[in-house]
Order: sequence, then C-alpha cells, then structure tokens
Amino acid sequence: MAQAALKDTSVKEFEKKQEWWWAAEKKRSKRLDYLRKAIWKKGAIGGLYAPGVKVDLERAQLHTQKAKEMEMSPDAYVIKFAKMFAHILDNKTIFITDHAQLVGYTGSLPHTMGWDPSAASILNEEAFNDPTAIPDPVDVNQKVIREINNYWIGKTDLDKMMPVFDMEDLMKMLSGSIGWGVPLARGGYSSKDYEYIMTGKRAFAAIIDELDRKIDEVDEEVHQPGANAEISKAYDKLNNWDAMKITLEAGIRIAKRYARLARIIAENFEEDPKRKEELLKIAQTCERVPAHPPRNLQESFQYDIFIQMMSRTEAIEGAWPSRPDYYHGPYYDKDVNIDKTLTREEALDLVGEFIIRAAEVCQFKPKWTREGLQGIDGTWVWTIGGVDRNGKDACNDLTVALMQAARLVRVANPTLSFRWHPKVKDEVMREIFECNRQGLGYPNMRNDPILVANTMHWYGHPIEEARLWANQACLSPCPTTKHGFQPMRMANATANCAKIIEYVFTSGFDPVVNMQVGAETPDVATFKNFEEFFAAWTLQMQTIFSILVRAVNRARTLAPTMTPRPFLSGVSERSIESGLDTLDPSIERGNSWITAFTWVENVDSLAAVKKLVFEDKKYTLAQLKEALAKNWEGLEEMRLDFVKNAPKWGNDDDYVDDIMLRCLDEAAKFSKVLKDPSGNNWPILPENVSGNIHYANIVGALPNGRRLGDALYDGGISPGPGLDKKGPTAVLKSCGKIDHITGGRAFLLNQRLSPTQLAGEKGYQLWSSYIRTWADLGIDHIQFNMVDDATLRSAQKDPEKYQEVIVRVAGYSAHFVDVSRKTQDNIIQRTVQGLG
Amino acid sequence: MTTCKECKSFFPLENDQTKGDCVQRVKDPRQAYYQSRPAKADDDAGACGSFQKKQKT
Ligand code: SF4
Repeated sequence: MAQAALKDTSVKEFEKKQEWWWAAEKKRSKRLDYLRKAIWKKGAIGGLYAPGVKVDLERAQLHTQKAKEMEMSPDAYVIKFAKMFAHILDNKTIFITDHAQLVGYTGSLPHTMGWDPSAASILNEEAFNDPTAIPDPVDVNQKVIREINNYWIGKTDLDKMMPVFDMEDLMKMLSGSIGWGVPLARGGYSSKDYEYIMTGKRAFAAIIDELDRKIDEVDEEVHQPGANAEISKAYDKLNNWDAMKITLEAGIRIAKRYARLARIIAENFEEDPKRKEELLKIAQTCERVPAHPPRNLQESFQYDIFIQMMSRTEAIEGAWPSRPDYYHGPYYDKDVNIDKTLTREEALDLVGEFIIRAAEVCQFKPKWTREGLQGIDGTWVWTIGGVDRNGKDACNDLTVALMQAARLVRVANPTLSFRWHPKVKDEVMREIFECNRQGLGYPNMRNDPILVANTMHWYGHPIEEARLWANQACLSPCPTTKHGFQPMRMANATANCAKIIEYVFTSGFDPVVNMQVGAETPDVATFKNFEEFFAAWTLQMQTIFSILVRAVNRARTLAPTMTPRPFLSGVSERSIESGLDTLDPSIERGNSWITAFTWVENVDSLAAVKKLVFEDKKYTLAQLKEALAKNWEGLEEMRLDFVKNAPKWGNDDDYVDDIMLRCLDEAAKFSKVLKDPSGNNWPILPENVSGNIHYANIVGALPNGRRLGDALYDGGISPGPGLDKKGPTAVLKSCGKIDHITGGRAFLLNQRLSPTQLAGEKGYQLWSSYIRTWADLGIDHIQFNMVDDATLRSAQKDPEKYQEVIVRVAGYSAHFVDVSRKTQDNIIQRTVQGLG
Repeated sequence: MTTCKECKSFFPLENDQTKGDCVQRVKDPRQAYYQSRPAKADDDAGACGSFQKKQKT
C-alpha cells in the first residue's frame, strides 16, 4: 500500500474493512515495524525459495574444513562432532540488526538458510541443483557446493545409516509413496528438557562445573585397580561428557562474540545515545547468558534464542517445541509488575521481537519438505496457557502479551497453540478470539484435560509431567521433563494413509512408484463381504505403519553412537547424570507417534464400499477396481454416485462415523503392538500439514470419488471440503464420537468461520458457546480460518495487495500468497460454518 | 603486504592483538546491520575488496 494511503487511513477504518495487517502496521512501534519488515521470508513459496534467500555456504565450508582437519585425529566420533560444532560457532559470521534488542541466527547472514552438509547427501545434491538458492556468482558457488558434496559422500548421517537399515523397507520409504522424510536422528523435531535448563536454576557454566565433577569422578574410577563391564562403558560416558562440555563452552564463547560486537558498534559507530545504551544492554545480556541463568525478560528471551540457535546448528530441526509464557512469564512479571523496569509497551516490543527472531529462522530443506510445509520453514508451534505441574492455571501476563504481540507482528510462523482448560479466565479467551478473528488462524485450541489424560494413557507419563507438555511439532504433546522429553521425533514416521485404501485395490502394488509396497492381499474382486474387505484394509494399515516405524526405531537405536547430539545432551539432565547421549532410548520414557496424513479418505471410502457395493449392490468390487484403475475416466456418473450417495464423515451420521471409530480402534490396537526403542507405544495422530496437496499426484483414484490429482482432505479428522453439509455442530458431534484419550494421539480439526458473523460482542459469545460444545464433547483440537472468500479471491487476483493475509493451512499458518494455487483453492473450498 | 590490522574494519582482541574481528556495516534490501567475523591481524588484506585504511590517531 502506498505510504500516503496508509497514513491517511485510520486504524479503525482498516479494522472495519478487516484489513488487519494494515491496522497492525499502524499500531506497532517503529522498532517492531522495522524489525518485522526486516525479515527475509524463508518459507518456500509453492516449493521454491523466495528470490534473494540463499543457502549458507559459510557454515557448510566451516563444517567441512574442520571435518577434513580432524580426519586423522584419534578422537571418538562424538568428540569430533562436538569440535565441528564449536568450530562453526567460533568462526561463523554473526550480525546485529539495527533496532534489534535480541540477537542470534542460525545462518551467517539474515538472508541465508543454514545448510548442514553432514546430514544427507540427498539434501546436499538438492543444494547443488537449486540455482535459485545458490548465492551469486552461481557458477563459482556451484563448484564450491560440488566440492563440499563430494567430500561428504559416504560420510553424511544418512549415507552412513543406509547400509545398516533394512534395504527393502528403506526403498519403500524413500519411494515417497507411503512416508515423508528420512529416518535421521539429527533431522526432525527436538523437544527439550526445559525443566532442567529454563527454570532459572542453572545455565551453561553450572552444567560445565557439574560435567567436570562427573569427569573427574569417573576418570578416577576407571584408573583404579580392577576391570569390569562398567569400566568399559565409562569410557564412552567420558567421551560423551567431554563432548557436551565442548559444545557448552562454545555456546558461551559465541554469546561473548555477540557481546563484543555490540560493544564495538556502541563504542565506534553508533551516535544515538539511546541506541548506544541498547547495544550496551545487548552486550551485558550476552555476557550473562547462556553462561549464567537469566535475571530479566531480555536475558530470558536471549537465553532461549541462543539455545535454539545452537540446537539448530547441531541438527536440522523442523519444529520448535516450547512453552514461552510458562518459562519466560516469571521474568515478565518481575520486570513489568514487580520491579517495573519495563513498561508494558517496552515489554511488548521485546515479546514481538522474540517472535520475529523465530520467524526468520530457516535451515535449507529438501523439496518434498518444502512442498509439505508450504509457506513456512518448519512448524514452530509454541504452546501457551495450560496448567502447572499441580494442575493450577498457568496463564500469566505473558500469555496475553504473546497474543497481543502476535497481532502486531502478524507472522505466519511461529504460531501459538493454546492449552484450554475450564479455569482459563475470560480475558484470556477474548485474546484468543481476537487473534483468530483478526485472521491469524491461531492460537489453535487444545483441550488440556483430555490431552493430559491422553499423554498418560499412551506413554505412562506421570500426571505432574504430563501437565508440563508442549507441542513437539504441530499437535503432539510432549512433557518438557527429564525422562519425558523426546529429543528427536523423525518426520518419516508420517504415513500417507490414503495408500491404505488404495492398496486394498492393488494388492499392495503401488502403480505410481511401480513397486510392491503394501501387503500382497488377495485380489479385491474376490472379497465376498465387507469383513473380508476390512481385514485387507487392516493388514495394509499394519504393513505401512510397520515399515515406517521399523526405520525410525533402527535410527533411534543407532543414533547415540552414529548420530549423537552432544549439545542437546549438554542441556538434558538425564545425559548429564548418566553420561549417555540424550538420544539413548534407555533413558527416555518414549513419546513416539505416527502422523497419519490423509486419514479420512479411508473412512469415506470404506463407507462408500460398504454402502454401494455390499449393501445396495449397485456395483461389484471388480467394477470399482476397474473404475479406480482408469481414474474414473468415462465413468463420471458412477463417480458422482460414490461422491453423493455414500455417507460422508462429519455429518453426525453413525453409519460412517462408526467406520471412523472402527478404523481408529484397529489402529489403536496395533499402536500397542508397535513399540519404540524405549519400549513404549506408537499411537497415530491424524493431521496433514500441506501433505494433502503434496500427495495429490501420488495417491490414485479412491472409492470416495476422488480422482488422481485432486487435493486430498485438509485435516486429520476434518470432513472433506464441502462434504460437511449438516453444519458446525454436526461436525463437532461426529468428531466427539472419537475417544480423544484412547483413540489416538491427537486429531486435527480445521473449521472455517465467518469473520462477519463473528464481529463484536455477539460474535465472541457465539464463538465461546461453540468452544464450550467443543470442550464438552472432549475433542482435543480445533483451529479456525476466519478470512472470508471475498478476501481470499481478491488475494488470488491481486497477490501484491494481499501479501500479508494469513490462513490456517493445517497444523500451521502461512501467508495465503505463499501457498500453491491448489492449496489456496482447497482452503476456499472448505465450508464456512455459520454458528448459532 | 597490506594486512587486516591496517584496516578500519579490524578490531583486535584486548588480550591478544594478533586476533580480532572484521566488523562491517551492511545494508541489504530488507535491513541494515553490523556483521562480524573472526580475522587475524596478519591476514592478507591485498585481495579484500572491503579494505579501508585505518586513520592514524
Ligand atoms: S577482511 Fe578485509 S575488511 Fe575485514 S579487516 Fe581484513 S582487510 Fe579489512
């Protein structure tokens, strides 16, 4: 928008037109406005990175340089790895943005994406083959990348792991038909032991002291007369502890580099006395943390940013499990309410900047990930609200400030996820409503009592730990505790579930990748009744889940030695105590889950087969098999019969809803047969990110009337777009029939509501009573899009004018213009539910 | 040979003057910032396009 028009239009006018992004721009402070506009948008747009965003060659070069230098060193691998980590932190370029009060970034420069060349050669080749992401001059830097890639061939984590996986499983998984991602323990979602590291009791210096004590003690023990198995294990422990220490010391050093840079700017370049003061505050902050526990809000945020930056130097992290109001809230309270060293406005600036520092984070990812996460780099879903370990309401002033700041900075990532419980105050609920009404698509709502019970049911986490959960990725609760936190959830335990029903018709043969992937069930045409058909479905489900889980289990079992994480171990109590890498399954309780993409297609397809084939006998299975093989070509009438005349999930129709329950029941039973390396269960979690678009050309025609290429349904248990014809309460009633404690890990439900209907106090009351129904039905999740069709269609026509419109895609939000046309259409297609 | 220590952008460490940081002002299309990376006082500045002679004080 032209500056003049922006100046002449009042906040109220923008709000009246529901142009919240312009209103936010006018309302936020100059600092926040500068920092918000300073973000290089890193989320891929329709699978491609935005112009100007480049792969960070510096980190890859530093990593490679140190790896080469240490090739002949006698150090254990974990020590070598820690030294590479330290070398990167000691030598990478760092920067401080004008007006910033918080520092620290994963890449070397603001427009770069961290690239870890040690993760996987297939990722490295993507860097080589993506000229749009290679820094200028492309020809020269492509040669640099070639050299780096050549060095790492056979040495990356995945290259090393491949030979020790079951090759058949691996090929099926890497075919891209049933799974998503690769089984790497340094690539996925890392929860953290925040109870150890973020409660102000200790920081890096104290941990280093503890490590020194451990090392001295055990070193002494192993050199006493005697020999036994424990002594053998102690050598590995000593190496692990040494490696942890190397990474923590490097963490303190890089913070000091930031402190020094801030002082150099203040003393040599900056003329504005106020900014000088800010720079000196940055210096003091970085001299304090992460070495020592924070004393105020700025230090607390800075400490967190450093930990995230370091963890993202060590591994490719695709998520951001955190609970910012819970862990930073006490500092907010101290600064704003008790000591009054910060005004609310100053605090809001810091909170907004804290969000921005996360929004800019990016690590170079392969194309399949970018396509599945259109518009964002990873699912930075921050958990707020909820209860403390004693069950008391944990909401605080920072809970509210985070939502207020989110409305001012309006980023698509991170998003907020609210742990609702019956004691949440009305003032907090109003903030949640306001964020959603202003079109952010977040916070989503999580039903805390249900999820605490769910977390205990599936993994046996004690109640005090279960209450401390944060989303590990989009939706899966994970305690932030010593034995409860899961250091790595690998994305490849993500099943493309539409293949389950597809394989029933192909006897497990996948026509897209041209290989036998599923179970060789009998020819579908031979099934005499629905029970036989359902038994084949169950076997295909079990087969697909098993392939994915076996690979993850293998990777997690080998991870402590082959792909250790000394930094993450260094901030984990269980590793400090035991000397074992934090990835070691023996010191974790287990919190694994299978993400079930494209789940509901199974339910609608099974219902259609049951009704039209076995009950109405309108078609035979042989006819249906042929129709699907032909992608319904020339059979439009038959296809529409399957679309219109078979019951569909989400209409409070027991016929199809019972099939959903039966499918979930089979999956839940099998979830207890599958075990992770900690010996715990593998429940399923139906949700999609934007996998429903990614898989559109991979999943063949289905009995719900879908054709190859059509977008799949958008949510974990959301009805198919436009197929929920009985209104919002019917959707909730269908979803409420599921037992959200024992039926699975969590269930994503997308709903579109009308922003016009929800205007004003009446709108809030309507939404509140809808939320009460949702909670009463025991549904664990719901999220909203409240942007009307007219705005979305205008954004399609005139994307330049609507750059800032945010939509809820699946477990995350994205700027509407950054997702593919197909995803945009899919969002518009979703039924707008009228409440009341 | 011209070296980094003669450059305006070089800031030596207090406790070890042979090492320091190369600190530069950068304006990219979205933001302005100061960047810093480690440099050695005796690094060759001959090939550095950003070299600026330090003023004698
Ligand atoms: S690298 Fe270049 S700009 Fe930096 S200190 Fe050396 S000569 Fe100066």
